[in-house]
Amino acid sequence: MDMDTALLLSILAATVQSGTPILYATLGEMFTERSGVLNLGVEGMMIVGAFTAFLATHLTGNPWAGVLAAGLCGGGLSLLHGVVCLIFQGNQVVSGLALTILGLGLADFLGTPYVGITTTGFQAFAVPVLADIPVLGTIFFRHDALVYLSYLLPPLFWLFMARTRPGLALRAAGEHPAAASAAGLSPVRIRWCGIFTGGFLAGLGGAYLSLAYTHLWTNNMTSGRGWIAVALVIFAFWRPGRAVFGAYLFGGVMALQLRLQAMGANLPSSLMLMLPYALTVLVLLASSARGGGRAAPAALGVNIEPEE
Amino acid sequence: MRKSVSAMLLVAAMLLMAALTGCGEDKKPAEAPKAEQTPAAAAPAPAAAPAPAPVKEMQVGFVYVSPVGDVGWSWAHDQARKAIAEMPGVTTSFVESVPEGADAERVIQNMARKGFDIIFTTSFGYMDPTLKVAEQFPNTTFMHCSGYKTAPNMSNYFGRMYQARYLTGMVAGSMTKSNILGYVAAFPIPEVIRGINAYTLGVRAVNPKAEVRVVWTKTWYDPATEKEAAKSLLDVGADVIAQHQDSPGPQEAAQERGVYSVGYNSDMSHFAPKSLLTSAVWNWTPFYKDVVEKVRKGEWKSGSFWPGMEHGIVGIAPYGDMVPQDVRSKVDARKAEIVAGTYKVFSGPVKDQNGVVRVPDGQVLSDQDMLGMTWFVEGVVGSTQ
Amino acid sequence: MFLPRVVKRQEPLQWGSFFIFAVALVVSLGVSCALLAVHGKPPLKALAVLWSGGFGGPFALEDTLLKSIPIFLCSLGVAVSFRMQVWNIGAEGQFALGAVGATWAVLAFPGLPMWAMMPVMFLCAAIAGGLWAAVPAVLRLRFGMNEIISTLMFNYIGILFLQFLVYGVWKDPTSFGFPMTPIFPKAAIIGPIAPATLGRVHWGLAVCVGVAVLLGVFLKRTRLGFELLAGGENPRAARYARMPYNLLVLLVMSLCGALAGFAGCIETSATVNRLQPSIMVGYGYTAIVVAWLSRLRVSSIACFAFLLAGLRVGVEHLQLDLQVPAAFGGILEGMILLSVLAGQFFDRYRFTLKGRS
Repeated sequence: MDMDTALLLSILAATVQSGTPILYATLGEMFTERSGVLNLGVEGMMIVGAFTAFLATHLTGNPWAGVLAAGLCGGGLSLLHGVVCLIFQGNQVVSGLALTILGLGLADFLGTPYVGITTTGFQAFAVPVLADIPVLGTIFFRHDALVYLSYLLPPLFWLFMARTRPGLALRAAGEHPAAASAAGLSPVRIRWCGIFTGGFLAGLGGAYLSLAYTHLWTNNMTSGRGWIAVALVIFAFWRPGRAVFGAYLFGGVMALQLRLQAMGANLPSSLMLMLPYALTVLVLLASSARGGGRAAPAALGVNIEPEE
Repeated sequence: MRKSVSAMLLVAAMLLMAALTGCGEDKKPAEAPKAEQTPAAAAPAPAAAPAPAPVKEMQVGFVYVSPVGDVGWSWAHDQARKAIAEMPGVTTSFVESVPEGADAERVIQNMARKGFDIIFTTSFGYMDPTLKVAEQFPNTTFMHCSGYKTAPNMSNYFGRMYQARYLTGMVAGSMTKSNILGYVAAFPIPEVIRGINAYTLGVRAVNPKAEVRVVWTKTWYDPATEKEAAKSLLDVGADVIAQHQDSPGPQEAAQERGVYSVGYNSDMSHFAPKSLLTSAVWNWTPFYKDVVEKVRKGEWKSGSFWPGMEHGIVGIAPYGDMVPQDVRSKVDARKAEIVAGTYKVFSGPVKDQNGVVRVPDGQVLSDQDMLGMTWFVEGVVGSTQ
Repeated sequence: MFLPRVVKRQEPLQWGSFFIFAVALVVSLGVSCALLAVHGKPPLKALAVLWSGGFGGPFALEDTLLKSIPIFLCSLGVAVSFRMQVWNIGAEGQFALGAVGATWAVLAFPGLPMWAMMPVMFLCAAIAGGLWAAVPAVLRLRFGMNEIISTLMFNYIGILFLQFLVYGVWKDPTSFGFPMTPIFPKAAIIGPIAPATLGRVHWGLAVCVGVAVLLGVFLKRTRLGFELLAGGENPRAARYARMPYNLLVLLVMSLCGALAGFAGCIETSATVNRLQPSIMVGYGYTAIVVAWLSRLRVSSIACFAFLLAGLRVGVEHLQLDLQVPAAFGGILEGMILLSVLAGQFFDRYRFTLKGRS
């Protein structure tokens, strides 16, 4: 294998790694939005997840405890969004923004003493047999447990939505809550589940950053990934398959921007760091121009008025 | 009912978070060993003689750009703060994570208003704010790190870290097999560029065929980005990773791939014991103690201070076990020359990236030119923007 | 069980917004102080420090006033666009572009006298900020692109663009290679109003007052302003009334960008006296909080901008006196916004005990 092929393979493997936290967050937000709730607090839930994952792992020594804590705290923070929007009928856009501000502040405030400590976290291991497949093995099967877990999510997501009764109920709450209500379902209760699951997954995305991507914690370590996830949901037309594509596309750009420098491309670094954000705009523009917005759940962002 | 369940869940989650932080108050890993070099004679030891008169009470404030826990830049300064807090009659305080710019001016001003006697501002971006506040508080002593402006009551100071960088470069250049070295760098400012250049000169002094590749992260402390930057360098064939970053992310990347690394700020060996060759380290304690003593005695004078390895302000951490003896003795010999002042790092001929001679043979680059360095020496692959 | 029932109000609650805010503030401070207590800091002392640091005494008020200038300008524009249901959260990026625009003017025409320099600077800042906001507006109107994402991404891109300039072509050759432009000439520096009595409070305050008056008159007295006020509440109604909704969105976004640009120009010129990356400290995000809290009432925007600026200043004192991390400010802002959002429920609904209907 010559140098260029090896480089290409390592870029693709790095693509999967950088794409994984975004994939978790994107699927989570997609789940929430399919239930009809727009939660822009992904960035906040991710960073809280990243911190609690690190903290719990640091205290227990078990990274899976960290993953669980990240999911619960990410989900716990998202319940605040539920309180504001489902109980108190608050504006979903602003509530999500507030959640981001709060989450970033909370994680930074609580996390300051933990900056500069390393923890055990997840290590990469090769999956037996699969890792030996040429090309694909190197790209997909020499990562850590959280990456492998993320491979299971999109099919599960699809199965749940398309083939199960709860999935149908979730979609009903997002498309037509009044009809769902008439059919004897409780759209508000379903939305609570949607919000919590979304927060849980965003927390896992954060956990990936502090337990697998690195084994360190710092404030702002999500650096906009939560927002990219929100954009990717629109890009993906609320469908999990396209979310995988989108997340890896971003992973690829993030992996590439630093490798371009390493390869000696003589470009100002500010311009290269712009790439993921510029790409978000372009990607969103492309999907909007194709009428992507029409794929949104019909009742997305609309609160369910309390019955009198 | 449903609402109360969710509210309880919420409360439980918040309590969980609070409890986790509450019981996890244990602090940093054990203090890393400092530079192996002890302060030379020039570094004045604080007077150990019995104090005849009651010492003047001193309040010393520090303004940091990042959290003190970062194991990096601010941490190194805070070690010195803790050391001077032990001095009789000295109390210290600090503010961390102060953004450079308008906020910095207010923080420094608050310190001055609260009657601090000496204020250390430890990031380049604090230069103008420090100067502005210094003009308003003529009786307070201001010490600004890494800038170039002074006032009657404001000095600037820095350490000649490039000397230590050069030595670590010699180690790295001796250990590389691929002749590609990676350097994860924060921001393209002279301090960082100077370090990369000195490192490269050290590398090429022992290994003229080697090249140093630079990746800018535009962050001081972002483990994810910095680790990824190190990985990107490893992917293009680098087998030694050096860093001008405050996080140990690059060290982690090197250790995972089983290649060598060079640390910065403090001895980073506990992050990557298997891969760390050595670290270029800061030791601000002797200098800070000296400043406090001088101010107390009224002997302090404004100026620009740029002490080097001979004062112990910079140094290199103990070598990793993998560094062979002949490399150690070669580097130690050069270190002795630098400390003695007989060897200057930027002595000609030095060519830049394009092959243009920047320092002719027989000349030494002036401090002025070093402070404003914006070009890479021959052997560096990367952009200075 | 005495489960309360929700009943819609016929009329909005009297003095509602004031009352809701007061309760929300108390709740937020309570939760934040509980966090402090968990962290082992004395909560009551912290409150006292927060108050005295932000509002207690002339120095504190001076600091707070200075800080509220950029927040106020950013909030005005954001408030107008929120009113229109245009979720422009790009004030941060528009602030950056305003700073860039103003700096371009100074670097391009360094010799201008002050009477010419100031208008040119502000004009360039407004154009740069306005254009930066107009692009997402056009994308939304033409392609239906979600403006929340686009404005947010434009924040990141705008800040990196500012860095690109300052690390590259605009770097001051005499600054030893550090990323900043040369110090502006005297004519381009917005000076203090009255150093003897008002300290560092600069003429940017006058700009705020001017803009506030103009905007107030515009909203109350012009047809277009009326369209803005009416159009926001119900975009569809505005369109039925044959009001040019698309044009309105474009206008509002550009206005918001121009105002944020003003803020960037003032921060650059008055506070830092040069362009450097560190002027970006998140005023644009605080502006979102202020805008939502105050709705579209200029006087409330001023009050809330002052209040949140005071909180930000007070938090710095907390850091100095009690070593409380700076992020405490973010927690406070987030909590206040969340609890106000929840509290506004009582503007529209009331609880009643079961039994009556």
